[in-house]
Amino acid sequence: MRGKCGLFHTSYASETRFFQTGFQKLSLGVFLALLLCSPFFLSNYQVSMLNMINIAVIGAVALNLLTGCCGQISLGHGAFIGVGAYTTGICTLAGWPFFAALLFGGLVTAVVGMLFGIPSLRLKGIYLAIATLAAQLILSYVFLHWESVTGGSIGMGLDAPVILGMSLDNDAKMFYLTFGVAAASVLLVANILRTRHGRAFVAIRDFHQSAESVGVNLFAYKLQAFAVSSFLAGIAGGLWAHYTMYITPEQFDIMLSIQYLAMIIIGGLGSVLGSIFGAVFVTLLPEFLGTLAQWAGSFFPNISMYFLALREGIFGLILVLFLIFEPEGLAHRWRLIKAYWKLYPFAH
Amino acid sequence: MRRGFFTLAVAMILFTSSPGLAQIKIGVLSDLSGPTSDVGRPYADGIRHCAEYLNKQGGIAGQKVELLQVDYAYNVQQAIAAYNRFKGQGIVALQGWGTADTEALVRFVARDEIPTYSASYSAHLTDPKTAPYNFFIAADYSTQARAALQYFHDNWTEDRPIKLGLLYPNHPYGLAPIPAIKAFAQDLGFELVGEDNVGLGDMDATSQLLRMQRLAPDYVWVGGTISSTAVILKDAQKIGMQAKFITNIWGSDEQLLKLAGPAVNGHYGLHTSVVYGADVPGMKVIEELTGGRPQNIHYIRGFASMYTMAEAIRVATEQGAITGPAIRDASRTLRDFDPMGLTPPISFFEDDHRPNMTVYLYQLFEDRMELVAEQELERRPEWFGH
Repeated sequence: MRGKCGLFHTSYASETRFFQTGFQKLSLGVFLALLLCSPFFLSNYQVSMLNMINIAVIGAVALNLLTGCCGQISLGHGAFIGVGAYTTGICTLAGWPFFAALLFGGLVTAVVGMLFGIPSLRLKGIYLAIATLAAQLILSYVFLHWESVTGGSIGMGLDAPVILGMSLDNDAKMFYLTFGVAAASVLLVANILRTRHGRAFVAIRDFHQSAESVGVNLFAYKLQAFAVSSFLAGIAGGLWAHYTMYITPEQFDIMLSIQYLAMIIIGGLGSVLGSIFGAVFVTLLPEFLGTLAQWAGSFFPNISMYFLALREGIFGLILVLFLIFEPEGLAHRWRLIKAYWKLYPFAH
Repeated sequence: MRRGFFTLAVAMILFTSSPGLAQIKIGVLSDLSGPTSDVGRPYADGIRHCAEYLNKQGGIAGQKVELLQVDYAYNVQQAIAAYNRFKGQGIVALQGWGTADTEALVRFVARDEIPTYSASYSAHLTDPKTAPYNFFIAADYSTQARAALQYFHDNWTEDRPIKLGLLYPNHPYGLAPIPAIKAFAQDLGFELVGEDNVGLGDMDATSQLLRMQRLAPDYVWVGGTISSTAVILKDAQKIGMQAKFITNIWGSDEQLLKLAGPAVNGHYGLHTSVVYGADVPGMKVIEELTGGRPQNIHYIRGFASMYTMAEAIRVATEQGAITGPAIRDASRTLRDFDPMGLTPPISFFEDDHRPNMTVYLYQLFEDRMELVAEQELERRPEWFGH
């Protein structure tokens, strides 16, 4: 293709390639290399933010597969993350190796997710949202009241992950674990979307009767979407539990589910890249607003107090503005920016 | 013009990098805009005003106190981010806030050796084996509830067991003291007649109260926060319930008196500090700092928390450098430390971070909170940590 203007595909395989050009590969390689070196030049605080972003990316990409790609709205994502957190924590406390515990946490969450995904055959849209909300409430109740297992209101203390005898007891070490798992999760979901299963998910989302008429087994594929999404949510939960080293039921309440929904709406429903953008945006926005409030406070002390009170409102306002002006999320904006620079300086 | 900018830039660099006075940096995690901001704001004001007072007095051992405050909106993730930012800014100690974030940070502060004085009074935070760097200046939630039961038991005159009902939210904060209450009520010979849930955000508690009324309790423990407590008290008045309600530390304050109005009259509130206007030395300081504007009872605990931490830092400076372990060790040397009368005396031990076993019982009226008892329990080992 070198030397030709534009992209020409001669096979479906070439059309579905991740990287269409060498420049894409190069820029992603440079970006990843920079990211891998970042703990050496970023502050501890900035690396800790990267850790939280990595964990959020796993959770967001998981929810986006279920909600954005397969069209199954879930308000129980926060609780699924909690299932993974508690299961992984219990296993590591029992002496399991970290990765075995993490994978088992993911598998248990997948089973729980499939269980709550069963109503999805009969329910869709707002009705399924309520069914998954029930999952959130039931699981929150279990976290709080199954004291002998979860520690109840007292919570559960854990240790930093130990991998091959090395304790990941600081943010820089933890970064490589969270980054590795986040990258693997993104790759997994992106690949699923390129397969027969991924296309079936999208078909179900677009119109379930058409999907069924072309041979898509609705129930099986919906359950698969719930399973994969919950598995990754469980992995995110396991990482979160061992990152914070203390988990309580309050950390996995309905607000967490809403936060993840906000991530995929802001990032872009059905887009893997959008999930990453959304996770970054939602994780960093409170920090940005907090810094802005502090900065404003250094000039106008009273204004800062009002600004702080407005902060949650500003977050809500940004969500609404996204829904009105950029319903396809940051991923769409990113595509427009790329298109603009591709044609620059010619607008048409 | 260019030279002017250059001179200005050099001046700014010199100004910002010149060695100033040594400062003791303390992180403050506050909820100023989240779901607990109604009590978080006055508590944070108390901390801030105490730091101002300390600085007016010349700081701690000649070093000024610098507070680095972050509004984390009661969100654990934001609390962890703020904590990491504080750590980068070189804090030596932390003033924490709620249960969820304090617990999420227990391992972090232990690993980084940052002593934390929180406003979460969960009993398990008093065990140095699991929370070696955590402290607070009030009797824990379980001790508070036990003190109330002891008081009512000691003052009971009828020849029958006291009937006790429990109303609490199905929430970690609401559930935390319930096992302790049940066990101690049984020890004292109370009759536990029933229990029910009233959520923190519930707007109506009539059905729960009607069920409770049929069981005819003498006292009902209310384990919510002020908004749910106000709902309970008003609904109880509406249905003519005779039981006396006992509200815990976040369930009653001056705001509740306004919210519940006449329905609050005669019920009880548990606290671990004096109220604004009390005749103690610290109140004169607070009155001066606030220009005589009445402050919430949570403000007073915030002030006392900062004041006690400052004392630990002062002791640490006497023994050498101000480091996290030194402040922790200094905290553990405090014996009957009196924060200017604002709270009962405070002692921490190497193996026991319970500050004291004293609880103030206030009777609530729509225009005042009247101190009726200062109930002190013994420091029993079987109560430690839960």
